[in-house]
Amino acid sequence: MAAASKQNTDSTVNIPDYEETNVNSKPFHVDSFRNEWLRRLKPGDWSHQHEDEDTFDANFAEDMGVSAETMAELKAVCSVDSLRCHPKDQQPDTDVVPPDPRLSTLIQRKKKQDYRASLKITKNRHDLYADELERLTVGGQPETEEDKLPEGEVILTINVYYPASFAKFNYIRPHTSLLMTGSHTLAELRDAICCVSDLQVLGEFSGTPDMAPDFISKELYKSAFFFFEGVFYNDTRFPECKDMSMTIIEWAKARNFPPYSQAVMEDTRLVDLKLKVGFPYLYCHQGDCEHLVIVTDVRLTHETDCLNKKLYPLLIHKHRISTQKCAVCHVFIGRWLTTKDRLAPSDPCLFCDKCFRMLHYDAEGNKLGDFLAYSFVDRGAFN
Amino acid sequence: MENYREQVKADCEQILGRFQEKDSVRFQVFATIWREMNFSHIFYGAVKREGRAFVRLILDTAYGYFLPPFSFQIRVGGLYLLYSLYQCQTNARRKQIRVALKDWDVVKKFEKDAVDAQHVDAVYILRRLMFLKAFHFTAMPTLLDYQKRRNVVKSTFCENFMDRSSHLPEIINTELLEELSNVHTMYTELKSSVFPPPQQTDSSVDLIHRDMVPQLLSTVKDFYKWRQRKDTRTAEAKDSGEGTSSGQESSKRARLIASIKSKAYGEAAEASKSRRHRQVEVNFSSSEAGPSFKPVYTRINRPSLKARTKDNVHIISKVWKDATGTTNVSRLTSLELDRAEIKSLRENSK
Ligand SMILES: [Zn+2]
Ligand SMILES: [Zn+2]
Repeated sequence: MAAASKQNTDSTVNIPDYEETNVNSKPFHVDSFRNEWLRRLKPGDWSHQHEDEDTFDANFAEDMGVSAETMAELKAVCSVDSLRCHPKDQQPDTDVVPPDPRLSTLIQRKKKQDYRASLKITKNRHDLYADELERLTVGGQPETEEDKLPEGEVILTINVYYPASFAKFNYIRPHTSLLMTGSHTLAELRDAICCVSDLQVLGEFSGTPDMAPDFISKELYKSAFFFFEGVFYNDTRFPECKDMSMTIIEWAKARNFPPYSQAVMEDTRLVDLKLKVGFPYLYCHQGDCEHLVIVTDVRLTHETDCLNKKLYPLLIHKHRISTQKCAVCHVFIGRWLTTKDRLAPSDPCLFCDKCFRMLHYDAEGNKLGDFLAYSFVDRGAFN
Repeated sequence: MENYREQVKADCEQILGRFQEKDSVRFQVFATIWREMNFSHIFYGAVKREGRAFVRLILDTAYGYFLPPFSFQIRVGGLYLLYSLYQCQTNARRKQIRVALKDWDVVKKFEKDAVDAQHVDAVYILRRLMFLKAFHFTAMPTLLDYQKRRNVVKSTFCENFMDRSSHLPEIINTELLEELSNVHTMYTELKSSVFPPPQQTDSSVDLIHRDMVPQLLSTVKDFYKWRQRKDTRTAEAKDSGEGTSSGQESSKRARLIASIKSKAYGEAAEASKSRRHRQVEVNFSSSEAGPSFKPVYTRINRPSLKARTKDNVHIISKVWKDATGTTNVSRLTSLELDRAEIKSLRENSK
């Protein structure tokens, strides 16, 4: 089905429209969408360079057949000054709601701020962190011409959601948001997704605690796939990679589902994709760690975007997860999980590295008593 | 930000409503209302992350008024609103106006209409936004994350902002009526050739109405009448002022056209069209200079039904074929109509 509609030369199919209003778009081919825009615009429109002000004025006057005087008057009338709502010599404080507001929005904002003030909540860490991210996304001028984000390229905003087992977060679905360019491959998207299940260490290490951190799941189990619009994109970069999609494809075939196809993750650029904006797709790794992936936006690049290609994929939002602390010191994040542990106050029990070693081993590093120890990676490890 | 949606919409509709009352498409008029309402203040007090989300919300909201189905005047207001919001946002990093690919052709058509009508300020503002790189050229008008909006309020955009004249004439126009009339005649002839003469009057084989075309036309006219009656008193005054004044048919029509246009395009349209080929003098001092037909609140002297019907036919044809001459009008009015039947139908419908 996907192949058939790719053949469709009707240009309107790649002009995205709603499939369900305000929820998601119909499927379209990203590169064709980009070409539709470029076909409609003048190069200057998508350029990261500014046209000269005088040139603009002159062109406008000529095009509309207006005199220089009219042009001057027009500029004055349409200037930002004509929108100023305060005396010229006063600089208003734009951080506070003005007194006696009449606009509904301001009345609402004042109400909310007064309420918040009554609760005496200071700015939380999330806000601070978001500001920090915002700052990061601005800077970074490219050093070389090659690192420059090309004009007329597309930028995709991609939300990757944490596995659904976080049932308690129904309101704010925890996710990270990434900005990627159309020339990125799906493999680059995969590498940008941080998930704790990649860091899990399998095995029991109470005898050899120093060995533990050397093997993490990401290195052991490299198979993964994305699923977009009936196509499984498999990671085949390493010989250990297994095709995890075949089982599903055969299962689906046996049950008369529409046929699914396969493609290679590292050979597929984002512009090659056919997708629906706003629609949930799938990223699966570690066998059964499943993430929803939603492309929330596709657009042409803009001069205000981070123009250093090297800084992409660019993280623009990250949900902060509260971390689980050590049962002894309550200060450091848990690194070890023990069971059948007579020294522990609970079973299982979480320890930071320092407390774990102090309690369970003597000065020579000999194990004290019987217990099983597993490496623990906190969900908030990427905070 | 969800809990600001309604308020933002209310504020946008208030400023556009006041702009609509001025019956103008001048930026100067819009800017005056903006200052009167202290609209720049709308950004005050929303800082950092909240501020950024708020700018996104209000730009996305205002963008809706820049597109159909709103009337040309409201769309001009929507454009001015976008420009003003874009310029007055208080965040250090400006947010761009999102324009979706599917809407772009409509935007270009709007630009062309504004150029044709010589609304220099509207064209300037739009091109200025392009020059400022105020747009993000996007796939969809808003970011979408598969989130069903909680307690969705069905978009009840102010009905007064709608371009209500546009839809019916698109479906029912002279060409269609002529075509229908031809088909109908052929059908009747064919039918009568099949049956021997005495049976021609047998109504049991009348599968469609015998006077379909006149009836359709009269229904459309009835609709226009009803809508006009429902319309503002201003329109009513305009309408009846018609019959009382000059008896000259041509000037009457010209004024009718002017009054329709002043509704659809704001006051400057008529003047600028006539001087399109001359050196343009843009009059920024708005309303008093406007050549549009001003409502006169005098004695309401209703013209005859026939006259009003005729006027309404002009309206229909004029709206759908704005640029063309009188040919369609004369063709439509010269269609053979059974006036007696229309009359009786209307009487019945009352
Ligand atoms: Zn995962
Ligand atoms: Zn500890």
